[in-house]
Amino acid sequence: QNILTVYFLVGYSAVALNHVIDFKEKKQEITKPVSPSELFPSLPIVQGTSKRIKVLTRLTLVVSDPSHCNLLRSTSANIRLYDIIAVFPKTEKLFHIACTTLDVDLVCINVTEKLPFYFRRPPVNMAIDRGIYFELLYTPAIKDSTMRRYTISNAISLMQICKGKNIVISSAAERPLELRGPYDVANLGLLFGLSEGEAKAAVSTNCRATMLHGETRKSACGVVYTVKKPRKVEEEETAVPACKKAKTQA
Amino acid sequence: MVRFKNRYVLCEVVSEDPRCRQCIEDRALGLAVRDAITRVHGDYGLACCSISFTVKYLNAYTGTVLLRCRKDSYRLLCSALPFVRYLESRGQRYPCFLNTLHVGGTIRTCQKFLIEYNRTQLLRLLQNCTNEEERQCIQKSLLSCSLTEEQSQSGDEDDDDDGTE
Repeated sequence: QNILTVYFLVGYSAVALNHVIDFKEKKQEITKPVSPSELFPSLPIVQGTSKRIKVLTRLTLVVSDPSHCNLLRSTSANIRLYDIIAVFPKTEKLFHIACTTLDVDLVCINVTEKLPFYFRRPPVNMAIDRGIYFELLYTPAIKDSTMRRYTISNAISLMQICKGKNIVISSAAERPLELRGPYDVANLGLLFGLSEGEAKAAVSTNCRATMLHGETRKSACGVVYTVKKPRKVEEEETAVPACKKAKTQA
Repeated sequence: MVRFKNRYVLCEVVSEDPRCRQCIEDRALGLAVRDAITRVHGDYGLACCSISFTVKYLNAYTGTVLLRCRKDSYRLLCSALPFVRYLESRGQRYPCFLNTLHVGGTIRTCQKFLIEYNRTQLLRLLQNCTNEEERQCIQKSLLSCSLTEEQSQSGDEDDDDDGTE
């Protein structure tokens, strides 16, 4: 909770709380996310505007095996409760699968060790077309010098392939002193090889796009197409409960 | 016209420890920033950035810092500022971080930005105020914000709030 207050002080308008699921251990149940209203009785207001700060919930799946991805396709109700879903692929094949077929919002790029695989252009381009963003963490870079080297080298190799598009920089801060303000994070983007406009977008517009991507993923499970018929009124009435039913089933 | 162009970077020192604010001094801060530049950019970075590097203004009550550097090397400085993790003074280490607020070409633009920023901060303090007397103090200082007399006003008010909170 302390961390969140510092975030709001520094000027962020939306924060996502991360929950990591690692599959190395035995079968883990996906628990329900902590509701943000439990942490804050009333959310404070963004600095400078009069809107309330959004606190979202986020799930990160650390996958090292293709069978773990089945969890995403399952209709477990708890997954749907998270706003943003991210996947952390450990092998090249999984990276390819995540970029092309998996239904996620973010693909995390490892910053704490040397990447075991090189990025290739086709899956990265497909991910950009699908609207999936690549995520880099910056807190390990602040803490430790060797991690800083890995972060910068991995980030630059990613930039060379994707030309700076679809990048989101986020922190994995565990203590309130490990986070940095948005202007500072955009300056860190310069170190990673982004241009100045791209770096600012990586903190602002790309994050917003990820949130919207998560929302569309949550809500658009099916599209109801209403056709105008002569008996228009009845048709609309039957269409409305069908929408409601689809949402509750999902 | 030939003259040296500078960039002024306005930062705020954010820390959990309330004692940290009282021992912010310009030498300690300068050393911390130079140390961060050395760690990130090496000897070349330190040499480039320290051509015209000084701490121009320091406000211990609000934790506001104004740094100056050359226009050619301000990117090196700005990209190294997130790596400042602690301030060291008189043998004590205080963990903190610097939050960059504004980069300007002259001191006057930074001052104008600082006035607006302090005004928003005072508004925010006003919302969290519990005491009626504090509320009136803050409202009075908000109404009298101007370029010449702002610095002393906001410094006093924040001091009051920090003291009474």
